[in-house]
Amino acid sequence: MLTDLTDEQLLAQALAGDEDSFTALYRRRQGPVFRFALHMSGSWLIAEEVTQDVFMVLIQRGRDFDPSRAALGAYLFGVARNYVRRALERNYAETALSSPVDDEAQSLMVNSDPGEGIARQQASTAVWKAVLSLPEHYREVVVLCDLQELSYADAAEALGCALGTIRSRLHRAHDMLSRKLQHSAAAAPGIASVTARCLS
Amino acid sequence: MTCREFEQRATSLTLWELSQAQDQQILGHAGGCQKCAAWLQQQRMLAATMQTLQARTAGCAAGPDVERVLLRAFRQGPSELVRPEMAQRFIPIAMRLSRFFEVGAYVAVGAAIAVGLFLGVRLLERRSVNLPVNSQSAQPSASSPSVAAETKPQQQLPTVSRSSVNRLRPRHVLSASQSLPDTAEPSQTSTDSDYVALMFCDPLSCSSDAQVVRMELPTPGMTGSGGEPDAQRGIADVVVGYDGVVRAVRIVN
Repeated sequence: MLTDLTDEQLLAQALAGDEDSFTALYRRRQGPVFRFALHMSGSWLIAEEVTQDVFMVLIQRGRDFDPSRAALGAYLFGVARNYVRRALERNYAETALSSPVDDEAQSLMVNSDPGEGIARQQASTAVWKAVLSLPEHYREVVVLCDLQELSYADAAEALGCALGTIRSRLHRAHDMLSRKLQHSAAAAPGIASVTARCLS
Repeated sequence: MTCREFEQRATSLTLWELSQAQDQQILGHAGGCQKCAAWLQQQRMLAATMQTLQARTAGCAAGPDVERVLLRAFRQGPSELVRPEMAQRFIPIAMRLSRFFEVGAYVAVGAAIAVGLFLGVRLLERRSVNLPVNSQSAQPSASSPSVAAETKPQQQLPTVSRSSVNRLRPRHVLSASQSLPDTAEPSQTSTDSDYVALMFCDPLSCSSDAQVVRMELPTPGMTGSGGEPDAQRGIADVVVGYDGVVRAVRIVN
């Protein structure tokens, strides 16, 4: 079964021309890559474009991937990071940052509890805006470690930096986020109440 | 546990691990230290809000269009997607061809540099030859009239530069020139006194590189003692290069 194979095995089969292996690998890995791009950019459009570009790179230059250097997941995040950076620098920069979370992204968010819908949406939008307002190298570690739940080691592989750098950046980013959220909580008390409910 | 140790331990944990706060040492320190307890509480709140964002975007994924585009690209088969056995067969040929062209490019660049250097040197040579001829053409007017009378045959000559004659220095010409009073240019050095002016004549034959000129050579008897010119006249064929330098002399009689 293809689902039993590792990412690296699927990639090897895909590079040998097996379409089913490529499809399985894509379906396994596209979600995290897409969400990483979405969290980083706040734009659904950029996220889809980046996901497509990342797997296109895998089709065209998949042989360059060296399993001894990093896991395939970390490699894909590394490629996605570069494409997000390019997309933000290119033509989307203004639109993405002027309205940090675009309408399509907000409307497609999963809403599990309709009763708390609006308050939760406000809270998550506030967090997302705070994350998007972070400098890029802090945003990357927050998205990878906190939102994608990567280990510090995997995040270090994806970003190509030392473990200690990830820790210190994350520590600093958390402080900055806390301060930003306190400001937004003071401006909109609903966010604080949702946070309190989450904690209780 | 000190506050510093607390901070070090806390930063080694992820936000989720920290928010669950199962680490007894961290909890113990936070229980006794207000500042660290506030920080821990802040982290827990942050983790909770992050969790809401994470939960809301958990189901987000790329649309079916992306998969369709990628599968189309996969089926089109970029060059990297050739079968391994095919790749092994074709890649060495491509490598060899590329190396061949690479070497060819290096050779072409090297040849271009060599040709450029050669032409540059030739151009410099031509310039260095032309300059003395030009400067020399102005000099006869500076000589005194008496000297001009003595050196009459010399004045008729001189499209061939003196320096170029000096380069050749045929033995018999030199011996003739040694007896010549070198009055045409008094300021010249002793080596210049070895020069012998040759008469200008129509070329016997021409080519792109040189022309052959037949001319009378001044001899000691002719120039020095003023005896019969016909009896002592020497005839020589002189090969003059395109740059005015005498390449060779052949004594005809």
